[in-house]
Amino acid sequence: MGATFFGQYLLSKGVINREALIDAINTQRNQNLNLTALAVRQGYLDKQQEEAILLRYRTSDAKLEDLCLESGLIDKVQLDELVRLQLSDWMRIGAALVAGGHLSCEEVEKHLDVFQEAQRRAEEQIETDFSACREPETVKTVVSLAVIHLGRISDQPMKLQTLSDHACDLAAGRRRYVQRLVGDRELHVVLDLPVEMESVLAEGLVGIPCESGTEVAIDAVCEVVNIIGGNACTQLEACGFKLRPDPPYSTEGNGPINGKGDCVRAEVLVGDAEMDVQVLL
Amino acid sequence: MTKWRVMTVDDSAAILTIIAAYLEDSEFDVVAAERDGRSAVERFAEMRPDIVLLDLIMPGQSGVETLSRLLAIDPDAFVVIVSSLGTEEAVHECLTTGAKSFLQKPFTKDDFIVFMRDLTQVA
Repeated sequence: MGATFFGQYLLSKGVINREALIDAINTQRNQNLNLTALAVRQGYLDKQQEEAILLRYRTSDAKLEDLCLESGLIDKVQLDELVRLQLSDWMRIGAALVAGGHLSCEEVEKHLDVFQEAQRRAEEQIETDFSACREPETVKTVVSLAVIHLGRISDQPMKLQTLSDHACDLAAGRRRYVQRLVGDRELHVVLDLPVEMESVLAEGLVGIPCESGTEVAIDAVCEVVNIIGGNACTQLEACGFKLRPDPPYSTEGNGPINGKGDCVRAEVLVGDAEMDVQVLL
Repeated sequence: MTKWRVMTVDDSAAILTIIAAYLEDSEFDVVAAERDGRSAVERFAEMRPDIVLLDLIMPGQSGVETLSRLLAIDPDAFVVIVSSLGTEEAVHECLTTGAKSFLQKPFTKDDFIVFMRDLTQVA
């Protein structure tokens, strides 16, 4: 498991039905307000000021609290009050399911323990410090998911070697796989791998031998990238981003990496093979 | 034993192959495997499978649009979304459009079979 929304987990395990999940999400949406919406309710911001702060929030890695203060429209005392109000009122999906009578507290806690343990095990595989990167939370999410899924599918040890701010052109003997994530911002997940690794990943994913360079193998690696990108969108939703992946594609050229955007590059070792995971921000 | 007739829809041939392999020798029979939403709608109208496993992110006609078209043909169509994208927003949109359930990729064979058997309790 890489990145999963708890409500979807409960649905897929048959713990709740679709009607219960729809009801719980609707309850959450009616109840939960972000800090700027609360600030509007309290009269600290008007709608136009709220939208300006949210626009900055969606296009940066800064915390909403910091952007509220930076705007000069909300002071520290007001912010503390908003955070207190938000914490006291915030309803999580489990609480919404209990409130709707779909599950008991004990049932939510039991399933949450299992769910969180699986999430924690996945996260433990990555020990690298991403704090020096541009947009560390976003980059960590994408790179961690890439390492987890590539290791699992190839069934080979994975090691994240280095992180750098320099994009790389596609090297000879490699193929580039790209997925664009779009929504309230745009980023690209780019995977460069030696062509001979295609057969390893394809066979690991599909379970039958696939020759590198064939349509079947390339399609399979595209699906690997799709799993990384789709799961990244799911995980980044918790950071406030609303993203959806476009269908992935492969290229023998540089694709979206053209020296214009910010890019973080992670060099990864899969078994003995080196590959690059790049996040174009 | 009558098998559940399943149609799979995914632009990735890899996923179609995996699902077919997982369901081999089970109580499920993959009667159609389509790689785009438009052909899925046509095949659904012809074959009326018991369960449709539908990808969300596909070139051309999206999964949500395909879901709507399937439900226009048969409002009781039992459509389940299978996608790498599992955001609250996507799950909510699919369920309120009429999907019966939602499974996030990746999944293991064991989890998938349990998920499918759970579906048959409500299908």
